[in-house]
Amino acid sequence: MQNDLSYENVTMRFEGRSGAVQALERFDFQVSSSEFLVIVGPSGCGKSTLLHLTAGLYKPPTGRILLGGSEIREPGPDKAIVFQNFSLFPWKTVHDNIEFGLRINGIPAAEREEQIKRVIRLIGLDGFENHYPRQLSGGMQQRVAIARSFVLKPRTLLMDEPFAALDAQNRQIMQEELVRIWQTQRPTVLFITHSVEEAVFLADRVIVMTRRPGRVKEVIDITQITGENHWRSDPFDEVIRRAEFQDVRSRIWGLVKSEISVRN
Amino acid sequence: MADGSAEARASHLPAEAAPAVITRSLGDRIEALPNALRVGVMLFFWLVVWYGVVELFGVSKDFLPNPIDVISRIIRLAWEPIGAGALLTHAWASIVRLLWGFAAAIAIGVPLGLAMAYFRPLQWIVAPLFELFRYIPPIAWAPFAMFWFGAGSSAQAYVIFTSSFAPILINTFRGVQLVDSRLIDAARTLGAKSWTILFEVALPAALPHVVTGLRIGLATGWMALIAAEIVAGTGSRDGLGYLILQGQQQLHADLTIGAMVLIGILGSLIDLAIRTAEKRFAYWRD
Amino acid sequence: MNGAGRNNSLARAMLGTISVGSVLIAWWLATSLELVKPLILPPPADVWVGFLDIWHGYLNVPFWNHFLASISVMLGGYAMAIAIGVPLGIFMAWNRAVDWVVGPLLQILRPIPPPAWIPLAILWFGIGYAGKIFIVFIAAAVPCILNSYLAIKQTPPELLSSARSLGAKPHTLLFEVAIPSGLPTIMTGLRIALGIAWASIVAAELVVSLAGFGFLIMNGYRNLESNIVFVGMAAVALLGLLMNLVFLRIERALLPWREDQDNG
Repeated sequence: MQNDLSYENVTMRFEGRSGAVQALERFDFQVSSSEFLVIVGPSGCGKSTLLHLTAGLYKPPTGRILLGGSEIREPGPDKAIVFQNFSLFPWKTVHDNIEFGLRINGIPAAEREEQIKRVIRLIGLDGFENHYPRQLSGGMQQRVAIARSFVLKPRTLLMDEPFAALDAQNRQIMQEELVRIWQTQRPTVLFITHSVEEAVFLADRVIVMTRRPGRVKEVIDITQITGENHWRSDPFDEVIRRAEFQDVRSRIWGLVKSEISVRN
Repeated sequence: MADGSAEARASHLPAEAAPAVITRSLGDRIEALPNALRVGVMLFFWLVVWYGVVELFGVSKDFLPNPIDVISRIIRLAWEPIGAGALLTHAWASIVRLLWGFAAAIAIGVPLGLAMAYFRPLQWIVAPLFELFRYIPPIAWAPFAMFWFGAGSSAQAYVIFTSSFAPILINTFRGVQLVDSRLIDAARTLGAKSWTILFEVALPAALPHVVTGLRIGLATGWMALIAAEIVAGTGSRDGLGYLILQGQQQLHADLTIGAMVLIGILGSLIDLAIRTAEKRFAYWRD
Repeated sequence: MNGAGRNNSLARAMLGTISVGSVLIAWWLATSLELVKPLILPPPADVWVGFLDIWHGYLNVPFWNHFLASISVMLGGYAMAIAIGVPLGIFMAWNRAVDWVVGPLLQILRPIPPPAWIPLAILWFGIGYAGKIFIVFIAAAVPCILNSYLAIKQTPPELLSSARSLGAKPHTLLFEVAIPSGLPTIMTGLRIALGIAWASIVAAELVVSLAGFGFLIMNGYRNLESNIVFVGMAAVALLGLLMNLVFLRIERALLPWREDQDNG
């Protein structure tokens, strides 16, 4: 598989009130095209930083991040990001939220409407086009946020704990929904979560990061366990009962746990 | 929260404020300067602009004196009497009026606000009356205040009272109302009686709101004081508002502007003092 | 609504009526029994006479002249305050250089209470309209600037990040994200400014004027006609209330996405 996203020696520091904080240190990694990559690690390990750097929201002081061979310099729709708190524009309807990215990227009106219609059907929100975000449930809002990014056909989709604000039931439904939506275009996905189960269910590979400064602790290739037919296409509550799922889940949890110091 | 780190704070900053900067632009360097220095330099700049405009265009001193005139006038005010006395006399007169009106507003507003939040029928009785008077600007009370108390300090204090009263009442009321009912339930399950709940749960929890109400009340009171001294000051020959008015009537713009500056400074000091108090009372928040 | 709720709102209406009613009766009794002098508190009948007096042209000035004098000056100064204050506040929040230059000046002017400007306005502009417009402008500009500034500064950062990630350029961020997101705060500032503007025009008219409600009140005071003062105050309060209601209507129409009720 060809490399889509590569991190070369990426370092990131923040000037905090109590001195500089090293968020990432010598982060080196390659992500293949259309790969579903999930990153787990203790709080504050720099995984969100990694995502924001990948989105181009700011530049790493040292190292480079390449997307399709060229360095990421600024944010753009080829690497759209979805946040935990949905981040929909509360003053825009579902339709207008989704239209925003298309419009500012110069897509003509007729094509916009077609795309919006398609993606709204994809996320199953037909009939909700003229609702404002506050009129939707958390799960519905997150569908719209995903659709808003997805409609731009991003090469890479960046998801920063997208389901963390949802309740357990909705989270499960959204995980399955995401798989279904993702499979229609199969962009590369970088997905951050605190839930090891979520990671094991969704990922092709899981990266476990060390605590700050964040580095790659271990990479677990889920596809080696599942083979050709990845278990994410099966129902979640059935998959989590499988022995091999349980095995890899507890292995990864052990890795994460060893990074969470008792004092945190 | 573990994520409340520099990382979490900085993670959404726009590009130009990127956390770790390699090349620093001029703007970044100015940004890094101490705030006081930046503000001080800019204030000096504006003083120079003021001076320059006055001198360059030969503006009449009766219309707009230059800053040096104003500053020297402020200094001379310290010992040169105008009306009832020099600067301290006027500042003291204003502050005493303010405190009378403010104290009356606290004495009525805080207990009434508490009682309204505690006994709902009282809220239903007072609220419509409050609405009836709410849209009357405090300064419009000045004539009646003068009918009632004569044109002098008491009338001015009354105007201050009408202005401070509403924010104090509303904030006290809301403060108690907004106390998390779970706190009260928790206290009750621990066996607290209603007086204990009032004094040990509801009041401490509402205190930050009450203090905020006092701060707003004092600020609006200060504003009303100046208005009252200008509108209802016919009987008194003291107060900072009186100085402003004297400057206008004698065509001494330096006196008017100087008194305005003093009022601004004094107002800021009062605000600073009560903000400090506010922080102390709300030390347990955030 | 349940039974207790209905009982509550009934009790509320009753107590409210009783409290306002008893105040009115006490007013009538105290004045008709001559417990208080008419100067201290004008009897209801005198107030009615005062109202008719003003309505038919108190001191040969038609009612509508007073109305127009107050309203036109107030709206003039208010419009100026919005036209200058809102863009200035937005600009200061968006551009730090503007903030550095203009911010300290505003900080030093802000603590000066608007009424303190009245004598200076008379000195500079005389006793005509210009001076009063200036006072209203000074008073109303402060909340316009402050709230617009805060509105932009408080744009949720993840909305800006999302928009950038969707491909938005700086002017899009300002006009399509920061300003719409801050519109409720800006509108609140405009509403505060409206109240302050109204109070300021009355204060200015109390000091010096030949027409307007402040003039009526002050003239009533000078002629020891407390009923005229009473009617003037009532008119000021009533108009203040009406303007506030109109404003709330406009605000609701401008911000449909904020309304609490759901429409399906």
